[in-house]
Amino acid sequence: MDFMLFGLLTFVLGSVLSLIVPGNRTRVLINLVCQAVACGFVLTKTIPVLFGGENLTGFMQWSYPVNRIDLRLDPLSAFFLTFSLPMTFLGSVYAVGYLAQDIRGPRHVGTHFALLSAVQISFLIVYTVQNAFAFLVGWEIAALSAWLLVIWNHRDQKIRFAGFNYLISTHLSLLFLVAAVMILHGETNSFQFSDYQQFLSTPGFRRSLAFVLLMTSFGLKSAFFPFHTWLPRAHSAAPAHVSALMSGVIHKAGLFGMLKFILLVGKPDPWMGWYLLVVSAASAFIGVLYTITQRDIKRLLGYSSTENVGIAGMGFGLGCIGLSMNQPVLVALGFGGGILHILNHALFKCLLFYGAGSIYRFTHTIDLEKLGGLIKVMRWTAPLFLLGSLASAAMPTLNGFVSEFLIYFGLFQSSPTLGAARLPLLLAAALLALVGGLSALSITRAFGLIFLGVPRDPHHTDPSAKENSFMLVPMAILLVGIVLIGLLPWLGLIIVSEPTALLLNLTGSLAKPLKEFVPVTLLESLTLVSVILMGIFAVLTGLRFALLPSCQRRHVTWGCGYTRPNTRMQYTGSSFSHPMTTVFRDLLRYLRRESLPKGPFPADGKLETHCVDSVEYSVFNGLQAGEHFVAAILRHVPETSRASMGFGLAALIVLVVIVIVK
Amino acid sequence: MSVALLIFHLLVLAVAPIFLIGIINRIKSIWAGRRGPKLYQSWFDLTRLLRKTPVYSQATSWLFPFAPYFVLATTITAGLIAPVVPGFAVIAFLGDLVLFAYILAFGRIPLMLSALDTGSAFEGMGASREATYSALLEPVLLLSIGTLGCLNNTMSFQDLVSGGSLSGFDLAIRVTIAFALFVVLLIESSRVPADDPATHLELTMVHEVMVLDHSGPELAAVQYSAAMKMTVFAMVIAAVVNPFPVGDGGAIAVLSMGSSLVLIVGLAGAVGLIESLTARLRFRALPLLILAAFLAVVIALVAVVARQGGIQ
Repeated sequence: MDFMLFGLLTFVLGSVLSLIVPGNRTRVLINLVCQAVACGFVLTKTIPVLFGGENLTGFMQWSYPVNRIDLRLDPLSAFFLTFSLPMTFLGSVYAVGYLAQDIRGPRHVGTHFALLSAVQISFLIVYTVQNAFAFLVGWEIAALSAWLLVIWNHRDQKIRFAGFNYLISTHLSLLFLVAAVMILHGETNSFQFSDYQQFLSTPGFRRSLAFVLLMTSFGLKSAFFPFHTWLPRAHSAAPAHVSALMSGVIHKAGLFGMLKFILLVGKPDPWMGWYLLVVSAASAFIGVLYTITQRDIKRLLGYSSTENVGIAGMGFGLGCIGLSMNQPVLVALGFGGGILHILNHALFKCLLFYGAGSIYRFTHTIDLEKLGGLIKVMRWTAPLFLLGSLASAAMPTLNGFVSEFLIYFGLFQSSPTLGAARLPLLLAAALLALVGGLSALSITRAFGLIFLGVPRDPHHTDPSAKENSFMLVPMAILLVGIVLIGLLPWLGLIIVSEPTALLLNLTGSLAKPLKEFVPVTLLESLTLVSVILMGIFAVLTGLRFALLPSCQRRHVTWGCGYTRPNTRMQYTGSSFSHPMTTVFRDLLRYLRRESLPKGPFPADGKLETHCVDSVEYSVFNGLQAGEHFVAAILRHVPETSRASMGFGLAALIVLVVIVIVK
Repeated sequence: MSVALLIFHLLVLAVAPIFLIGIINRIKSIWAGRRGPKLYQSWFDLTRLLRKTPVYSQATSWLFPFAPYFVLATTITAGLIAPVVPGFAVIAFLGDLVLFAYILAFGRIPLMLSALDTGSAFEGMGASREATYSALLEPVLLLSIGTLGCLNNTMSFQDLVSGGSLSGFDLAIRVTIAFALFVVLLIESSRVPADDPATHLELTMVHEVMVLDHSGPELAAVQYSAAMKMTVFAMVIAAVVNPFPVGDGGAIAVLSMGSSLVLIVGLAGAVGLIESLTARLRFRALPLLILAAFLAVVIALVAVVARQGGIQ
């Protein structure tokens, strides 16, 4: 495991140098070079492991109370490292374009890049250590550096608030994790993951408690419903590449944690799988439902992250059900699809956030209702964003479909040995279909409002703005990944085959490699259909432009006879989602501020509607009500030291009684 | 034999869209006491449009001229996956039913985008409605196909409707699924009670209002693919209720093809009758119709799982 030390040191070197050398350009350059070297080096070690090479192990001596930190690079860690490191590097490259003004200006940009390196360091730690203590440290490094990256524009109070909100949420997640580790440590008197295996693989109340705590913690980290509220705030506040990295890469650590502990659990209780499936299905549905109501592109993408971790989580839930029912086919398809979806989501979500960043740099706004017509000025960003959104709506020929297809394939398993489980599984498939339909609506709305039509607000068209190649190249690279996995699904299957094999091995004698469950011919058929679709499309357009008359004349859009339409007469985002939001009105909460024109000489009226997060709204309201309640009681309590002492004594007596009775 | 089936499948896919529209219009005119246009009138309409020079809106971008052909391409591909007769489809593999639903969904997006591309509020309204209803229909479609898969224990489109024994129970399930799919057909192809293709008020249209700014060959592509989409759903329904799986061919295959054709024509007749006899629903009531179809499928699914011993 020397490679890890080398990688770690190079990242540290990069961050230190970018802090101390003079000149922003040099800082950035040195940092990027160090990141590239370290990533390249680590990848040469992880890629062989990912494709079936031998696991790498090592250990480090550490002082009391940790003593010894074991390191292991198994296919699962290798999978996460193999996509996390280069994608963070791509994010850093994008940052060069996104922060171009800061780099030219007097501000010290080195800190930003140093923090990006710190994120890389946290990946190396979290994905390889086999020690709960070191795991928590790595977890904390990631959380703190992500927080500092989020508040890069800290002069804005809203951004500080969002950062603070994120800081608290991520530490709530840490709290649950620490609680779980306390249980595990209490049972085994060890920080080594390998020692937990025995305790975690025997059913019992404490195991269930530890499982729930762990899943809550990881759910908070990955923004599962109902712990997602911090995410849209943080994403809309952070610089675009930071949102991209948080959503696509950093918070995947939560899903890694889930898989890691499922591996230790071995054969979960049946309820565990169903619990995961239900929570994830709820995340997927609520996440996508909120995407259709958002005005802010980055908030929209944030909710879509909740949707996508939900979809991956549905895969994991299905896999766990398979583990407890001894159905290897469910294990293979559930975990295979779920793990692949992690990669796919990282690819398209980073692309979309980068696109949102470019739009922001171009127009100085990310409010859907003020944009429009950008397809004519952002010649490269528009098609990239379109393909990214189509991938996120799981459209065939793009990567999102492949992983969802695997999960569907698992949910549709109709073998009678599954018994009554088929009913909820098929209903979950129906829900996934609804999620797909909603996300199609959502991406149509987002792309249509941002790029199509004509600009809605003339203040946001900057004629001097240009697309920046530092921002375009990372997007193009991500698109290559999206299209490759989409057109050649077996490629995705090979990537997740070894990590899934770890989980398949838990089924014991029934274990077979992933490709036994997903025949290659099947994936070739997906390629074939994509080729047929594209072929028919090419032939049709070719025939049309060769043989039929082409457009000679343009005219104003048909406005029912009205020939002087203006830009404000286009359809708005909230109108677009209105039919759907009326169907699900009980799940959404709208705040409405209006001052309608009144009287014979009315002044200007206005109407604002905001879709607020119901969960956040209820939490804040609940806290407020609780505060009022406590305050009301406290009014009757005399503020004297005698009273306080008396209450303290009473509490002590109650505790002693409880202890004695037990 | 499979060559004959292939030719039959392609022929139905290509020609039936024209006649389906003709049959529906003929039934409506008979009901209204008129003689009505020729059964293949839409052929003339389409070829006339193909000869015209299109006019695009000033607001549109490069996306606009390509979208209709992409829609048509997805519809054709979906039509190759969907079976006409039980037991045969041009493209068939395990899990193709998921791909079928998603390919159709893929075809809707460019159409909605090109509606938004014109910057018209009317077209945006149509796109919004289309997106809403199709999203709500998605679970109905997948669950009905999944239920049939459960019944026949398979994951391929062509087999899941080739159902072996024809007991009363099987028949009841198939009819229920056919009902749900018929609701999908009505709404997806914008017929009454979901949408009125004959309406003249932009505010109340769904599909027609999305294509207000399409003209010439582009309009022809959109209209042909809309008719073809209806045909594809009619094909699936016909295959679901068709009692004769093609098997090894011979006389039974011919019988099967014949009965599928009869069923498709019958479905067109049913659409025409509904259009003549009922008023369209309010937009708000449509989700309830979709919910009814969904519940029908859920009941069928529960019955299937219970019957196979899943639920004691």
